[in-house]
Amino acid sequence: MEEKLRALSAAAKKSLENGANPEELKVKYLGKKGELTAVLADMGKLPPDQRKAVGALVNSVKAELEALLVEAAKNAEDAKLEAELKGPKLDVTLPGRSIRPGRRHPVAQTLEDIVAAFGKLGFEVAQGPEIELDWYNFEALNVPADHPARDMQDTFYVGGNVLLRTHTSPVQVRLMQKQPPPIRHVMPGRVYRKDSDLTHTPMFHQVEGLYVEKGTVSFAELKGTLDAFAKAFFGSSVKTRFRPSFFPFTEPSAEVDVSCTMCGGAGCRVCKQTGWLEVLGSGMVHPNVFTHAGYDAGTVTGFAFGMGVERLAMLRFGVGDLRSFFENDYRFLEQF
Amino acid sequence: MKVSVEWLSDYVALPSVDELAKKLTFAGLEIEAIERPPAGVLAGKILESVKHPQADKLSVTKVDFGRGPTQIVCGAKNYQVGDIVPVATVGTKLPNGTEIKEAELRGVKSSGMLCSARELGLSQDHEGLMILPPETKIGSTIDRVTFEVNVTPNRGDALSHVGIAREIAALTGKALKSPAKPVVEGGGDAAAKISVKIEDPSRCLRYAARVIEGVKVKPSPRWLQERLEACGVRAINNLVDVTNYVMLEHGQPLHAFDLDKLTGAQIVVRLPKAGEKLKTLDGKERTLEPEDLLICDREKPLALAGVMGGATSEVTDATTRVLLECASFAPAAVRRTSKRHALHTESSHRFERGTDIVAVPQVADRAAQLIAELGGGTVLKGLVDVYPKPVQPRRVKLEEKRLAALLGVEVPAEEAQHILEALGFKRGLEAYEVPQWRPDVSREEDLIEEVARIRGYDTIPLKLPGGLGALAPEAPAVTVERRVRVALAGEGVDEVVNYSFVAPAELAAFGAEKGAIALSNPLSAEQSVMRTTLYASLVPNVVRSVRHQASGLRFYEWGRSYRPDPEGGKGARPVANETVEVAGVLWGLRDRARTWTNKDAVVDFYDAKAAVEAVLSALHIEASWANFDSPWYHPRASAMVSAGGVVLGTVGELHPRAARALDAPAGVYLFQLEVEKLIAASRLVPKAQGLSAYPSVRRDIALVVKAELQQAELRRLILDIGKPLLVDAQVFDVYTGTQIAEGLKNVAFALEYRSPERTLKDDEVKQAHDRIVAEVQKQLGGALRA
Repeated sequence: MEEKLRALSAAAKKSLENGANPEELKVKYLGKKGELTAVLADMGKLPPDQRKAVGALVNSVKAELEALLVEAAKNAEDAKLEAELKGPKLDVTLPGRSIRPGRRHPVAQTLEDIVAAFGKLGFEVAQGPEIELDWYNFEALNVPADHPARDMQDTFYVGGNVLLRTHTSPVQVRLMQKQPPPIRHVMPGRVYRKDSDLTHTPMFHQVEGLYVEKGTVSFAELKGTLDAFAKAFFGSSVKTRFRPSFFPFTEPSAEVDVSCTMCGGAGCRVCKQTGWLEVLGSGMVHPNVFTHAGYDAGTVTGFAFGMGVERLAMLRFGVGDLRSFFENDYRFLEQF
Repeated sequence: MKVSVEWLSDYVALPSVDELAKKLTFAGLEIEAIERPPAGVLAGKILESVKHPQADKLSVTKVDFGRGPTQIVCGAKNYQVGDIVPVATVGTKLPNGTEIKEAELRGVKSSGMLCSARELGLSQDHEGLMILPPETKIGSTIDRVTFEVNVTPNRGDALSHVGIAREIAALTGKALKSPAKPVVEGGGDAAAKISVKIEDPSRCLRYAARVIEGVKVKPSPRWLQERLEACGVRAINNLVDVTNYVMLEHGQPLHAFDLDKLTGAQIVVRLPKAGEKLKTLDGKERTLEPEDLLICDREKPLALAGVMGGATSEVTDATTRVLLECASFAPAAVRRTSKRHALHTESSHRFERGTDIVAVPQVADRAAQLIAELGGGTVLKGLVDVYPKPVQPRRVKLEEKRLAALLGVEVPAEEAQHILEALGFKRGLEAYEVPQWRPDVSREEDLIEEVARIRGYDTIPLKLPGGLGALAPEAPAVTVERRVRVALAGEGVDEVVNYSFVAPAELAAFGAEKGAIALSNPLSAEQSVMRTTLYASLVPNVVRSVRHQASGLRFYEWGRSYRPDPEGGKGARPVANETVEVAGVLWGLRDRARTWTNKDAVVDFYDAKAAVEAVLSALHIEASWANFDSPWYHPRASAMVSAGGVVLGTVGELHPRAARALDAPAGVYLFQLEVEKLIAASRLVPKAQGLSAYPSVRRDIALVVKAELQQAELRRLILDIGKPLLVDAQVFDVYTGTQIAEGLKNVAFALEYRSPERTLKDDEVKQAHDRIVAEVQKQLGGALRA
């Protein structure tokens, strides 16, 4: 019996060395009908005095075989993994499998960033209609009929006293009609002017701003707010300067220039060698506007400002042709 | 307006050109351009001139421009030896791009070029050499500088050299010199020769006339012509030139009539009679409108008041007696007439912005005197001046406290007074008297602006308002917009921005042209109606991009559609219904181009639906879908999506007929959502659900059902039957084809069973699953597969 066991053990080892499958060997020797199991089953036939010694031998042979098989199995797996690891490499230069995210329109991005910059200062957002009454677009803003200031904006009419708003300023009036001061709002939106050439499109975007309080708001605060905006939007090193100008709905009025974002003020093609870019119109709200909106012009003051979004988008993205914003060529849109 | 710097120096001492431009710009008179002769042009005296030996039309001159006599060949004829002219020295670059080089013209050396005003970019139409004043220093640079000044509509007073000089005087503190000279009168009384009658004193506020007799019409002297040309006004003859010159000087338009062409030696300022016509100086016969104010004689119209003179009374070379008009017309009346006749003139431009009614006599005298000086005539005694309602000066108070409060900086009272007085405001006991040339100043804020702009806005400090920084929660509309945009970006949809107006045909393709709001003065038919659907813009976007070889597109736009509102415009109600929409279009290859992963896969209805589902998911809206009939969409692929009984929007394939009308390719998929409804249905802050402590069990089910049975109905039935253990059912396969009988389809769901109280046992799940299979079979008669 002992010999039989040793022979079994030797045969199993040999099979392993010859590359037999460890799983198969396990079945062959240690399975329910395995050869070693069969030997164990024969133990009962042994005389009782031999059983113990043979039993110990069987167990040791079995343990040895099992250990060998486990190791062999592990080796086989390692070898397989090794082979797998050494297999052909992926072509990592092939494009990834994904949906490319949609692009935001450059004008919309710019508009959102302007609104966000004012949001940091505490300005909320308000909206108003684009098809507007002459009264809201002009009269309430201190631009009476037959005033030459109407020439500043060529107007699309829908008929009679109805027009497409030429600026976002009528939203100021609607907002004040709706709620008492304080007002701290920006009013983004589409505006329309009857003008179409290299530097004008019949529709463009503006962001209007209005800050009104009961009591006194000063021109210094207008300057402080717009300077803070310019730094938030263009960068902290940007400088601002204010030039007297004329808007019928503000008095005093100011154009706001920022130091050129391209050359930093040294002078370049973009700023026409001046070192400055005109970006905003602003001023202290004209008392007539308060009166038209139903406020008591004697007790409230405030400032208003407005800017063209396309111009800022052109500067920011280096877009040369204003019209390309509205042609919506997919090759243009893909870039942003 | 063009302003000659040399002319300005008649009235006030000037700083350097660049300093002056800066000062004016920062006082609100923006200098948009500075025109000056190119560097290298010097004043040179012509020492001799002989005919070119080889060319009849050329002369050979010797010119001294500070470097000794220099030989220059010249083609002009309008000079004499001894004249001082501009010389473009070698190396000079002329405005037209020519660079002056040493040259040889027909064998004669020439070192420079004698220039005309036009060649120096100083005039548009003047031929011949520019002759400089004899006192010009030889070798000096040419100080002919003009400014293009952007005069804002409130500043009619700055449409003149005197007005701008006044501004400069206030800015520099230098004295302002008046050009006025006393008028030398002679002969008889003007009033004996003419009479003036104003029939409409609301439109004609003042009419003054001077009569000058014995005038000889001839070209104006060189200096006057050059000043006019510098300002872009063409010289004509001494009479017309003086009226233009004095207008450019004082801002007051004037007109000279040939007095002999007037019937009845009478000026009548009146409205037209029915059917009356007038041929204006531009040669156009104009039918007059009832509100066009006219300057007439006893019988006929002579001029369109404040806008343009008429042909019949025009001064000619034969004119000897002149009636000089210096009047004041109501700004709005002039503006309406100018608009009606599309006739914008130097005169109407100034009257619209307001002229100085008080200065009328002085200006009339100034012009009359100048005519007499240049034309050799006699100014008759007296100004015929009809001024029915003399204006009272306006008085405006200025409180020091208010000044400081509005500007945010203390301004010493003396400084404010000094500035205002320099600008012509007179300090009274309680208030400032506003000069008549400043119709824009009528209240305290206006005075404050005057002080602020002359001091300079840079004297005002920067300050953040105290009220800022008080933050309010973001409005839901803002949050929703951002989330929708992020969701669509995630779906790979690019944003477009289109004009709000489209071509009527683009709406008609959708049957959406009825009631569309049309512009009464569109730029073109292509941009003439306000869109009633964003699709009218988006589908053409696809058409255009396809033309540019796009092979796959995903676009969306956030914008409004516009419809009439019968109640619109009442009170604060907007005029029209403006609906904010987010709409999109998908077409072509799913990955925009062929990719190795997705090959030639193209988008279909479910890609468009996915975009909408992404939006709904971002807003936590639980929506339901249903078929929907619309002329916009292919009847087989068209759906509306609702939440809580409210339709949020629609999705579908572009109807083949609409596609044909718009020249669009096949396979265009569209979606549109109404933003207000999204906001109302949105749940921006969802409440978290606790996770189950017990595992779920997953089983698949496949059912063969009638082909027209919709997934949602089948799913609802399964979930209903599976209660309470079945918690979810997700469709993962829909199959029709050879394995399935006609009219049927195989639908497979992944079911998820779970109990909130315990771990489910196998046979519990099996029971529930079997029940679903049996019940579905019973209720639908569908057969179960696998």
